[in-house]
Amino acid sequence: MTMKSEYSPTDAASRWPLMLLIISGASWLVLAGVFALISSIQLHTPSFMALCPVFTYGRGVAIAETAFVYGWLANAGLALALWVLMRLSGEPLRAQNWALGGWTFWNLGVLGAIIGLGLGDLTGFELLELPGYIQLILFFSYAAIAIPGLLAWSGRLRRVSFASHWYAAAALFLFPWLLSIVHVMLFSAPVRGVLQPIVAGWYAQSVWTLVLAPLALSIAYFVVPKVTGKVLPSYEFASLGFWCLILVGGLTGGRHLVGGPVPAWIASVAVVSCALLFFHTFVVLLNLRGAFTAPGVAVKFIAFGVAAYVLGAVFDTVTSFHVVAVQTQFTYFDEAQKQLALYGAATTILFGGIYFAVPRITGKAWLSPLLVRGHLMLSLLGIMLLVISLCAAGATQSHDLLDAKVPFATITAHTRDSLVGVTAAELILLLGNICFLANFYGTACEILKISSPATFSPSSAMETPAS
Amino acid sequence: MKNNVIFFLGLASALAISWAGIVLGSNAQLGSLAPFYDDSEGAAFPARMAGAAAQGQLVYRDMGCASCHTQQVRRPGFGVDKERGWGDRQSVARDYIYQPAPQLGLSRVGPDLANLADRKPSALDASDLLHLLYAGAPGMPTYRFLFETRTLGVGAQPSEKALKLVGALEPKAGTEVVPTPEAESLVAYLLSLKNPYTYPEAVPFTPPAGEGEKEGAK
Amino acid sequence: MSELPNDPRVDQAKASDEGLLDAHESALGKQHAPDGAKYRLLPIAILFTLSGLILFAGTYLNRYAGHYSARIFNENAKPSSGAPAAVKIDPVALGKTQFNAVCITCHQSTGLGIAGIYPPLAGSEWVNGPSARLIRIVLYGLKGQITVEGHAYGAAAMPVFGQVAGSAYNWNDEKVAAVLTYVRQEWGNKSGPVTADEVAAVHKAIGDRKEMSEAELEAVK
Repeated sequence: MTMKSEYSPTDAASRWPLMLLIISGASWLVLAGVFALISSIQLHTPSFMALCPVFTYGRGVAIAETAFVYGWLANAGLALALWVLMRLSGEPLRAQNWALGGWTFWNLGVLGAIIGLGLGDLTGFELLELPGYIQLILFFSYAAIAIPGLLAWSGRLRRVSFASHWYAAAALFLFPWLLSIVHVMLFSAPVRGVLQPIVAGWYAQSVWTLVLAPLALSIAYFVVPKVTGKVLPSYEFASLGFWCLILVGGLTGGRHLVGGPVPAWIASVAVVSCALLFFHTFVVLLNLRGAFTAPGVAVKFIAFGVAAYVLGAVFDTVTSFHVVAVQTQFTYFDEAQKQLALYGAATTILFGGIYFAVPRITGKAWLSPLLVRGHLMLSLLGIMLLVISLCAAGATQSHDLLDAKVPFATITAHTRDSLVGVTAAELILLLGNICFLANFYGTACEILKISSPATFSPSSAMETPAS
Repeated sequence: MKNNVIFFLGLASALAISWAGIVLGSNAQLGSLAPFYDDSEGAAFPARMAGAAAQGQLVYRDMGCASCHTQQVRRPGFGVDKERGWGDRQSVARDYIYQPAPQLGLSRVGPDLANLADRKPSALDASDLLHLLYAGAPGMPTYRFLFETRTLGVGAQPSEKALKLVGALEPKAGTEVVPTPEAESLVAYLLSLKNPYTYPEAVPFTPPAGEGEKEGAK
Repeated sequence: MSELPNDPRVDQAKASDEGLLDAHESALGKQHAPDGAKYRLLPIAILFTLSGLILFAGTYLNRYAGHYSARIFNENAKPSSGAPAAVKIDPVALGKTQFNAVCITCHQSTGLGIAGIYPPLAGSEWVNGPSARLIRIVLYGLKGQITVEGHAYGAAAMPVFGQVAGSAYNWNDEKVAAVLTYVRQEWGNKSGPVTADEVAAVHKAIGDRKEMSEAELEAVK
């Protein structure tokens, strides 16, 4: 087994598309944070910025969500998926021009979507607040960014494949299909009536289970064994867990239609699919449990993300049953679950991946240890406060909604304190993300200088467990 | 998983299964759902949406109203939607067949609006709704950008559409506040929100004796 | 080659990429039982979890999927016991709809009619009298003078409502029965319902004809 430096010419040669994807992702994250902060203030103080149509609550949340999912999660997730596939292939990224072109048009598309949303071109579909005219641009640019990744998968030097491969390849391959299906069924030839929410629900669940979660898991499955130096403890079941997610993920499409105006089977299939997904979650937890004891900032982020992923899955399954859904449906509990998944799990795992990857991509250490630690603290604190405040608001709201005598003005008054907590959490997260963006920007500028190279201890062949 | 072809075929077929099952399956069941013709009433339900109401639904969507209001009544016994006066029966798929962009919504920061125009004993009328949009409510923002403040010419009569505002909201002398066409179509839409007819599939199910509404799972 | 200090600026890795790939490839199928144990507990536990979840899923869907029917919106319902195929029509509700759509213009929502022109229905001896007469009035209409509660009415004619030649309304027997049932229990009237079968019997016995007169009606018992 040859000793190979952690920073190699393959990284240097693949640097630019990855850095551009990450920096645009981090910028969208800050923008999303600003809009999320404004929207959260409006929840307890509705008059805040209410005179400007761009910042009206409904548009603000749509902009925040779009910037977060399509700006931040997609850009950062794609960067890390390409990086992992590149590292595992052992060769520099091929077809980088496709990635650069895709990056340009993807971000122009997201910008166009956000301008469109500000002007009122909302779609009203969860996780799909993309004006129809933007979707084709996103379809082609995602496919263009995916090409180098798929080439790295198919052209890998060794025939062996690893869990990170599967998750990354699945996310790269499936998103264009998903987007093209919903574009046809909701925009070019819209289906009738409640079929629209059904198709949109299927997309929202699929984009989480088949694209965003796999992007995050791909980097987690890579970083954790790299840092611990140990074989994943239940690796023989990793492929079963993967196929469980891929097969069952899309079937959770009716998750938010429990008790709604759709035939009962759609919701019931979603309920059992959520429960079946628990098998996947269990396998992920078993395999990545090494993250909870390993050292380093990257793994701390990932450990938190894995914990949130498991917690979010349990939360989702429990609240999908009709007896619980009757209480939690349409309340801030739904929002808490969504934040636990998108922020608590996906975002923190991507943060961990970026902290791990950037010194290897650039050959430079992160500029400021203070900002790294600050970002870690603020993120973890912010996410916990966010989810707990939303759950507290949800508990109050759910209790009051189920009492027909309580008017909405009273519910607003009762949830006010918890919603102020949500605002505080959004503010903390925004500060943390500004630290992250500043630190990343500074580190990227270091590439142009000779100073402060990252020092890596040599990594070696992985120890196999004593048998 | 060393074989690329089999791997990608697996991915594609997994997506195809959920697409066929959830999307195409429900499409096959509900895609050609027809209005229900009641012989004794001599009319078909639901009624088609008026043009102004259909336009108003798009204004509703573009303002993101669905981020705080649902438009789906849950069945009696499942939540307290009936007790809150939101509707006597569960919303069913047929209620939405004529809507260009159904707004089911996922959050109840505000009340459900599926039967807003059919509230008992007294429903809100157009001027109530316009006032609500202009002045806001506890927990609800104002939508003043849907209104226009106009200067009245000397001796001109105020418009019939002008809002009757009193107190702090009263416009300056010589000016009046009138709704824009968007506000008017939004209100036309809100006033069209009612599902008075009970379809056969919407008749509440009463469990046979000895079988409670209980969940099989813990 | 010594251990580097724990620097938050660079996360160190213990394994190389090749090492990671090789170790996991060779680990597949070779994760052995710990010394002294005959088998590993975890794989069995994992497979039991999966089978348990699949069993649960099947049971749940069998019970709560509404047999995948497009018409079942309550997961507790079953096709046999659940949503009925046809609505059971409440004659009073249907009759009220009919009355409010048509009859109300003459007989008024109070059921009192208009003095001198349209006779009242509330407390009327005709409405609360034999149903056979009442059925004939609505089915075939009424022309000429009629005395109700001691007052004579004759300025207006009662139109033909039944499915009779020349009828402007063509109400089927069910609707006629429903509207009669409604007026016989409204405004303080307390007479029994009129069934569609009764109406159908009269309709069949008489067939097509012109409007009734008071004298003809009084002959009916």
